Amino acid sequence: MKLSVPMPLRLVLLVLGTTAFYMYLGQIVPQKESHPPPPVLINAEMTTEDLVAVGAELASGKGQCLVGCHTVGQSGPLRYPDLDGIGGRAATQVDGLSDLEYLAQSLYEPAVFIVPGFADGMQAINQPPINLSDDEIKAVIAWLQSLGGTPNVTLDTDLGY
Amino acid sequence: MTRNRILFGIGVLAFVSVIVTVRLGGFLVDNEYRQPDRQVAAQEELGEAELVPRQQGIADEQAADEAEARARPYEEAEYRTVPFVGSRVTVWVLAQLHLLFAAFVLAVPLFAFIIEFVGYVKKEERYNKLAYEFTKLLSVSFSMTATFGAFLTFALIILYPKFTNYLMHIFSPTFLPYVLLFFLEALFLYSYYYGWGKFGPKMHLFLGFMLNIVGTAIMFIANAWLTFMMSPGKRDDIDGDGVPDFVSAVSESGALLSLRDAFFNFTWMPINIHRIIANVAFGGSIAAAYAAFRYLQAKSDEERAHFDWMGYVGNFVAIIAFLPLPFAGYYLAAEIYAFSQTLGIQMMGGTFSWLFVLQAALIGNLFLGANYYLWLGMGRMEGGVHFQKFIKWLLIAIALCFAVWATPRYAISSVSEIAAMGGSSHPQLSYLGQMSAKNTAVNILILSTYMSFLLYRRTGRQSIHPHRQLLTRAQAIVFSSAAALVIFYGVYGYFVDSATRIRFAIPQVYSVLAALVVITVIDLPLYRNAAQSGETKWGRIPAVSQYALIFIALSFTWLMGLMGYVRSGLRQEWHVYGVILDTSPDAYTPSLGFATQVVSVTVLIFFGLIGVVFWLSSLSGKKDYAPGAAAEDGGRLEGGQTA
Repeated sequence: MKLSVPMPLRLVLLVLGTTAFYMYLGQIVPQKESHPPPPVLINAEMTTEDLVAVGAELASGKGQCLVGCHTVGQSGPLRYPDLDGIGGRAATQVDGLSDLEYLAQSLYEPAVFIVPGFADGMQAINQPPINLSDDEIKAVIAWLQSLGGTPNVTLDTDLGY
Repeated sequence: MTRNRILFGIGVLAFVSVIVTVRLGGFLVDNEYRQPDRQVAAQEELGEAELVPRQQGIADEQAADEAEARARPYEEAEYRTVPFVGSRVTVWVLAQLHLLFAAFVLAVPLFAFIIEFVGYVKKEERYNKLAYEFTKLLSVSFSMTATFGAFLTFALIILYPKFTNYLMHIFSPTFLPYVLLFFLEALFLYSYYYGWGKFGPKMHLFLGFMLNIVGTAIMFIANAWLTFMMSPGKRDDIDGDGVPDFVSAVSESGALLSLRDAFFNFTWMPINIHRIIANVAFGGSIAAAYAAFRYLQAKSDEERAHFDWMGYVGNFVAIIAFLPLPFAGYYLAAEIYAFSQTLGIQMMGGTFSWLFVLQAALIGNLFLGANYYLWLGMGRMEGGVHFQKFIKWLLIAIALCFAVWATPRYAISSVSEIAAMGGSSHPQLSYLGQMSAKNTAVNILILSTYMSFLLYRRTGRQSIHPHRQLLTRAQAIVFSSAAALVIFYGVYGYFVDSATRIRFAIPQVYSVLAALVVITVIDLPLYRNAAQSGETKWGRIPAVSQYALIFIALSFTWLMGLMGYVRSGLRQEWHVYGVILDTSPDAYTPSLGFATQVVSVTVLIFFGLIGVVFWLSSLSGKKDYAPGAAAEDGGRLEGGQTA
């Protein structure tokens, strides 16, 4: 006996089946909720070592440095420069700028010097949407200095910005 | 007969429901607590006004509520919530439904006008009829659009009062023009629809033209509001160093600096372009779904032929608009990148990267569905067998491109699998997950679909052009060159830095676009006045093709819903990116799984409502009610069944 499904029911089944199929695809891929970065507390007693730890946290959180932009210890076709060893080579990147001045300029005015081979695109991280405070930027600089160099920035350091 | 029984059943059910409701209400009123009559009489006699305990309790509760309300100071709410569903999901679903109907209402007049114009130029009445058939869908859809627009506005004012107030602060000067345009759109739409056959053709075409102009202007204004939330400003080289600087339309505190910059913001025009094209593709697919619905309902060959043709035209419109859509999408994405690298990276490499795998499945299905429909359509024409040998190669190309596009860069793997692969990406397959491979796949998909369309166009026709061999070879060379160029840049992209690789998308896109234009320009004279080797038999197509049309419309709707999630979710915890933070409990981007659940609900509601639109539109073609005729019809049907 031939089973005949009425046309309206076929349409309903098609709509429900297609919707269920696409929804199922949405369930099987990795699920990730993207929450705002948690606040990072910086107090006046923090040492340079403390700032390095805070800077590392900021780099992968509120600062968004490591969220799809920079990498640490990767090679090949990269979107933006790999940060491995940046603490060591910062002083030699731009003539006349110390490592601290270079790193501060890269964060406050990233368009002034673009590493050869890469495109301009980074936003000033003291402005929205990233909007790091001056103390938070010092923490990020301390972390950058720790990547192949010796951190010396403190909360009293004048970055010139 | 069955229909009459169903209608009778519904009537009986409604009657019984009313009786039950009245009886239930009566029962509750009868059983409500009442003070005993003798006690009331005694109190009246004594002149006492003493309350029984229940009355006293109610009075105390009311007094306490009033005292509490008086003691509470007025506070302006920042957010309000909707129980169970939540504010975000409420606004999300309403906005999406408004947008889907609005897209349809904006798109249909566009191609109805073009079809009417073609009919006017060619002096063929069938085009006029077809345009009218499309326009029939508009009036109910327009009401739906307005209803959901009002719902959305109320929901925003109630649930997000502070943020809505902020948007009003920025855009209040645009509201009056918007309302006036909306009024004009209603005027032009209804005069276009009801004036069919009542005005001269030029006047009627003018009404259609104005309807499109006004509709597009309305969309442009609404686009300014939503794109401002993503890019509240423009980029301009203000310091003359050759590098565009960000010029915010608002101050750091959010105060308006320039309405012009807020309106003509950075992503406004890319969204305008993307939406016009996407609306036409979506509108075409929904109109084709309507034709499919009518085809499946059709009782006569004549009806089937008419709705088969309508479905073909609707699908043709959808696919022709769909082919350049990835380019418009690329332009929009590139502009988002140019506005903010953070937004761009978030879109393609961050939270939403997996969404594009799902998008690939949707677009792949759209291409497969569209090609399948075209291949089935070859059966309408005698002589179609000649081209069917090419279909398997096209199918292989489409399936391969689909597979490449759907390959994620990072695989979903267990710990042992990650260890075996040496990372979360597969050592070989992850190459297919990169942008170079995906750009190549989508361009080849577009070329393949266009090739399907060309084969369809040639089915049952033979060119009589004196240079037909030369021109056909020229087309083949253009096609092969474009494909080769796309593949060359796709492979070369693996050997250059990211900045160069991103720029390779441009020659890929241009070569495909150029190929489409050149091949079309050659094809028009090549097949002008072509010899017909067989007649096109509209209506001679398997019924499954009509389900394919509905599947295409479903996939388009899904795609719109999913892309709405990305566009809005990109802002993450910002209402207005970089200016107004979202401080509500919903200040996070939900997972893709959750988003697909919301999109599912939206799609189901939309298809439920569009089913009502289809049904109402189909009523206009039915005969007027006449009691005698209904009895006669019933008698004939029964007689026929008996025979």
